[in-house]
Amino acid sequence: MKEYLKNTWLGIYTILVGMKITFKHLFTPAVTIQYPEVKLKLPERERNRLYVNIDDCIGCDQCARACPVSCITVDTVKSVPGEDLGTTSNGKKKALWVTNFTIDFAKCCYCQLCVFPCPTECIYMTDVFEFATYERKDLVYQFSNLSPEEAEQKKINFANFQAEKEKQKAAAAAVPKPENPSQPSTN
Amino acid sequence: MALKTETMVLNMGPQHPSTHGVLRLELEIEGELIVNVKPHLGYLHRCFEKHAEAMQYNQVIPYTDRMDYLASMGNNFGYVLAVEKLLGIQVPERVEYIRVIMAELQRIASHCVALGTNGADIGALTPFLYLFRDREYILSIIEETCGARMLYNYMWVGGLSHDIHPNFVRRTKEFTSYFKNTIVELDNLLTYNKIFIERTANIGVLPAETAINYGATGPMLRGSGIKFDLRKDDTYSIYNRFDFDIPVGQGLQGTVGDSWDRYYVRVREMEQSLRIIEQAIDQIPEGDVHSAIPKRIKPPKGTVYSRVENPRGELGYFIISDGNTNPFRVKVRAPSFVNLEILGELCKGHLIADVIAILGSIDIVLGEVDR
Repeated sequence: MKEYLKNTWLGIYTILVGMKITFKHLFTPAVTIQYPEVKLKLPERERNRLYVNIDDCIGCDQCARACPVSCITVDTVKSVPGEDLGTTSNGKKKALWVTNFTIDFAKCCYCQLCVFPCPTECIYMTDVFEFATYERKDLVYQFSNLSPEEAEQKKINFANFQAEKEKQKAAAAAVPKPENPSQPSTN
Repeated sequence: MALKTETMVLNMGPQHPSTHGVLRLELEIEGELIVNVKPHLGYLHRCFEKHAEAMQYNQVIPYTDRMDYLASMGNNFGYVLAVEKLLGIQVPERVEYIRVIMAELQRIASHCVALGTNGADIGALTPFLYLFRDREYILSIIEETCGARMLYNYMWVGGLSHDIHPNFVRRTKEFTSYFKNTIVELDNLLTYNKIFIERTANIGVLPAETAINYGATGPMLRGSGIKFDLRKDDTYSIYNRFDFDIPVGQGLQGTVGDSWDRYYVRVREMEQSLRIIEQAIDQIPEGDVHSAIPKRIKPPKGTVYSRVENPRGELGYFIISDGNTNPFRVKVRAPSFVNLEILGELCKGHLIADVIAILGSIDIVLGEVDR
């Protein structure tokens, strides 16, 4: 009987102790925010959606190789002589047309491993996190600024250039050499 | 004439709020009493170990984040220590200090969830909210430094991905000073609450011998009164420089090794983690956190087993290297997985409602159980 009364008293007392704490919290400011209306300021190192500054991209494919989930696809076409692709903002000369630079954010694991190897720092993570879509295919982002027709044209240009070069090579080989190659040179 | 009785099988989960993820428990019950419990796993299996074989050593780190997602820093820590052991790298002092502080912050954050959900499952929702508020503070400190809230990929082989943020030291000190108050509040609200004690004391008693036989580690083992903590007993990194105690279950409200003891050990562990952080935060030396990161990770042939004390117990990585850039095999000894196996033993003879209290006190993370 004594034990029972003691337990009952303890039950009431410890609840009152807890109630005192919760009552105190009535007068502390709330830490929650009304999310869609009020937004937290995200820190500058925030790791969310990737962004590629394609003007600086040299198409080196290092980000795609660093990616553990293979969500980055980079396709490049070599430029032909006479085409000026300009330089990147840190002075690297561009030699490749980036015909395709897609990132599939449905696969991306936001680990930031692609950001560090980039020689021109053109791929980086932004603080954009609200990009939900209804369809998964909408999460595949194309960063290349060449249209598919332009990309096709670049490929044809390079193929033509390559064919031209082959032709020249073949023509050069067809011309008989003036000296016998088997003879070792005297000097 | 005796009535013919037979046991009934009841499924709890996979969609059950108190199984903390997707775990199915097959309860064999006789009336309200548990005869046997069989946990069914694998709903969250993502082939971590097989994936790791196809990855380069540094690409595995984001995958380790996703095992025990409440304590990602601890997972990173264990993995990088294993690879560093394989490579024979000595990391700079600054890196060691930051790693220890991060791991201890993460331990507090993880215990906040463990204690909060343990209470919430039984019906005490208030402490859950207070603890989540403080966990959020820790996550925001870490987010400021490494950019992610939960899946950090912060510790790299030989260093860290980022140096600490300029605000890090100030905010951590702020946190350690105000979190002590939260622990007092938690004690008053939940730990010594009579209803909570009635629900957890003498429930799911795990004798020390059974705990050892099953290979339990972490708060689970310490709750049974065994003083075993890898930070002290198989010290790694720079834990031997700090002064801290290992709390063990003493059976203050019932029997040694009951659910309340496991809960209590976690509360006291948070205090010890605060002590470690307070000692370490003032001693962070200057240095470059990137200086020891190897350009290309290609360890020599060999095997390594490295273990760390994660919030849930001993997290071990066994790595076999065949001299390539990819690990030949990565095996993880996940503490949650091992601790979960004892559930059947603990639940025998208890009520169905007690299964939830016991499961909460085991503190499993299904991401780690299934991997």
